[in-house]
Amino acid sequence: MKRLTLLAALCAATSAQAAQDTAGLVRFVACPVYRDTDAGRKSGCWLADDRENGKRWDVTESPYKPDWNFAVLVEGRPSANAAQPCGAPALDPVRTSRLDIPCTRHMIPAEGFPGRRYTLPRRNIAPLSVARAVPPGPYAERVFPVYFEFDKDFLVYQYDDWLIDNAVTWIKAAKPKKLIVTGFAATAPETVSGVTIAERPEAAQERAETIAETMRRLVPGTAVETKWEVAAQPTDEPEADGLPWQSQRRAEIRAVF
Amino acid sequence: MHFLPQKAFALPIAALVLALSVGARGGDVPDRWWAPGEGRVLPAALDYDNDHGTLRTLTVGGPLKTAGHPFFEPLGKDGRACVTCHQPSDAMSLSVKSARRQWDRTDGKDPLFAAYDGSNCPTLPQDRRESHSLLLDRGLIRVERPWPTKSFNGNPVTPDFTIEVVRDPNGCNSGPAYGPAAGKISVYRRPRPVANMKYLLAVGFPYDPKQGYALPLDPDDGKPQSGNLMADNRAGNLRIQMEDAAATHLQMLKALTPAQRKTLQDFELRVYSAMQTSKAGGALDSMGARGGPVRLRDSQPGALGSIGEPVWSEFKAWESIPKDEAAKLTPEQLAHRQSIARGAKVFREKMFLITDTAGINSRIGFGNPVRNSCVFCHNMSQMGNDVAPGQVDLGTTTLPFADPWDDLPLFKVTCTGRPHPHYGKVIYTYDPGFALTSGKCADVGKITLQSMRGLSARAPYFSNGLAKDLRGVVDYYERRYSIGYTEQEKQDLVNLMSAL
Ligand code: HEC
Ligand code: HEC
Repeated sequence: MKRLTLLAALCAATSAQAAQDTAGLVRFVACPVYRDTDAGRKSGCWLADDRENGKRWDVTESPYKPDWNFAVLVEGRPSANAAQPCGAPALDPVRTSRLDIPCTRHMIPAEGFPGRRYTLPRRNIAPLSVARAVPPGPYAERVFPVYFEFDKDFLVYQYDDWLIDNAVTWIKAAKPKKLIVTGFAATAPETVSGVTIAERPEAAQERAETIAETMRRLVPGTAVETKWEVAAQPTDEPEADGLPWQSQRRAEIRAVF
Repeated sequence: MHFLPQKAFALPIAALVLALSVGARGGDVPDRWWAPGEGRVLPAALDYDNDHGTLRTLTVGGPLKTAGHPFFEPLGKDGRACVTCHQPSDAMSLSVKSARRQWDRTDGKDPLFAAYDGSNCPTLPQDRRESHSLLLDRGLIRVERPWPTKSFNGNPVTPDFTIEVVRDPNGCNSGPAYGPAAGKISVYRRPRPVANMKYLLAVGFPYDPKQGYALPLDPDDGKPQSGNLMADNRAGNLRIQMEDAAATHLQMLKALTPAQRKTLQDFELRVYSAMQTSKAGGALDSMGARGGPVRLRDSQPGALGSIGEPVWSEFKAWESIPKDEAAKLTPEQLAHRQSIARGAKVFREKMFLITDTAGINSRIGFGNPVRNSCVFCHNMSQMGNDVAPGQVDLGTTTLPFADPWDDLPLFKVTCTGRPHPHYGKVIYTYDPGFALTSGKCADVGKITLQSMRGLSARAPYFSNGLAKDLRGVVDYYERRYSIGYTEQEKQDLVNLMSAL
């Protein structure tokens, strides 16, 4: 399982087309359905139905999972893995952003589906007690992106902490003169499943400030400057997993010398 | 009962009362209550019996002379010391049983019952028992917090909620001097144990995944803070905590001196407390088990059980006690040991759906609901507190999950920005908890997870004493999450917790 996700991520990373290749990408808004599978801790399934074509997807692999009381914005790519442990084809990579649209909570039984046994995701950080390997030089200007849930500036567990940990390890070794943190927000309205969605322009500034404060706490003494931009465009950075919408919702840490 | 020493008759009345009450084991040992300024010597290892067995408290580098020691001397006008509410017999917390015993022994005159926070409200007639009912019935101390919250971690804060008082049964949330309109809020909380502190101060990872932020830095030493002190995390380090305690609980008019602060902190980091012997099961560090405070003293703090040593694997060896070993035990001891070992497994392995619990189901990304066990939140090896900052809303202080208590104040919180992810715009709570510190509506009802050691010595449980005994703890979780524990599993959990 772990190897598979790793492979998938590698594929996304190596194929330069990935981010641009929007064919096959799925995006819709739905009330999530929780399937109560039990293969141990964190093994429940999340399902969501695309109302425009009547397809049900397994969206469980999102780093930020749904809340059964709210609609989610689903963004993903059909998984290369045909297995259906949750009783529907899986999206992987996938993102599920919580929207402020109330839903009637719906839980269905496992109906014989096993769910997925929890495995530590690839993006997880070691405890502070474990020394980080010093990234080799030479060091030159470099940009580290950090990604967010729709309209939020919250650092996602086992995603952003990992991205930031890598950035900070490098910054500590490279000792840049200054960090320029730019927050981006996808403010251009789009209609998804009949719902018009757009990120608040303030989200760009919030993201910049959250990451700037994070840098001040993790690399104290380094100068940090903030900027923000609305109408964010997609990038093809690998850690957005080839999902253009995820790549828009970001902050960039630029280390300058 | 033992004979009074001859010379006791020559002592003044107060000393006589003291001499009359014998230690838990009987005999001429000093009383189990540590009164301020007695000048006793704190031994390197000190045992006290309770309903479930014997608690042991270790003082590293002990014995310690307490004469002149700021933890033990009355420093303020009320004649109280830190030890008044942090008693060695009660795992350095205060059990309701000890509070009642002190009321009875001193006819309510003990400094513990000082008007400021040892009564339901200073405005009440102090000589009546009912004016101290929250302390005597629920083990609660009044905690006064400023309102509105103005800053958090050194940054200015404007709260995104308003607070109104729905009912004020004690008078400390209304009138000219008290309540939100007067710039303060009174909540009622259990003293938290001042023992095993290195675990509560340990930092496992540099992030607070519940707040979605890097850990705040300590204003004194610039290092990341654990975020695991106080129910509402209002103190990020021991210095801030002790200054708060001195000014409030001790009613000290002067600030603690740097020397006093140093002595206090040094002491707090030297005390370890845990159950050493189970009444029904025998020595908790025998036959391969590794209970008791020695191991707490000697282990590295801050380890996450899920990637290292599983939480409560102290009792792993008792999962299968070999026949020849079993033969050395009474059938009752054997059964109790097996039950403790099963309890540890239930704690880690019995899964249930955790629902609508801010800090876990929002905003961290685990999803709502998420399937997991007790160890999901109580995840630090050896201690059972949270490795990450432990602010979680179990519902213990907030409706509809909290029990309907008419003797606590009830607040109506209205979110002025985004609604609370689970309660919505309006929340009714006895104690907003962490929200009083962070100023965020999303944090209403969040209470910092405590240590799970020495539980037998310090009932009742939860920050507002909602569970009167260990069975009450299990029953609360069963109600809250419809877990479906069998009777056997409930008993196993109780036996496990009684042995910590
Ligand atoms: C009147 C009772 C009382 C006295 C006296 C008292 N405390 Fe406390 N202590 C409490 C209460 C109640 C709490 C929990 C407060 C909260 O969670 O908001 C607490 C919490 C603490 C904690 C935090 C432990 C944790 O796990 O979060 C420490 C440390 C502590 N006290 C130290 C002291 C020191 C040092 C003194 C003397 C200067 C002192 N206390 C005096 C009642 C008292
Ligand atoms: C969702 C996270 C979570 C889970 C799961 C959880 N707890 Fe807790 N636990 C907490 C929080 C938060 C507190 C502090 C609440 C309070 O004091 O009001 C707490 C407090 C406690 C305490 C009180 C300690 C004291 O000093 O008063 C005990 C005992 C306890 N939990 C046992 C358990 C057991 C047994 C289970 C499994 C049935 C469990 N917990 C599952 C979050 C959790």
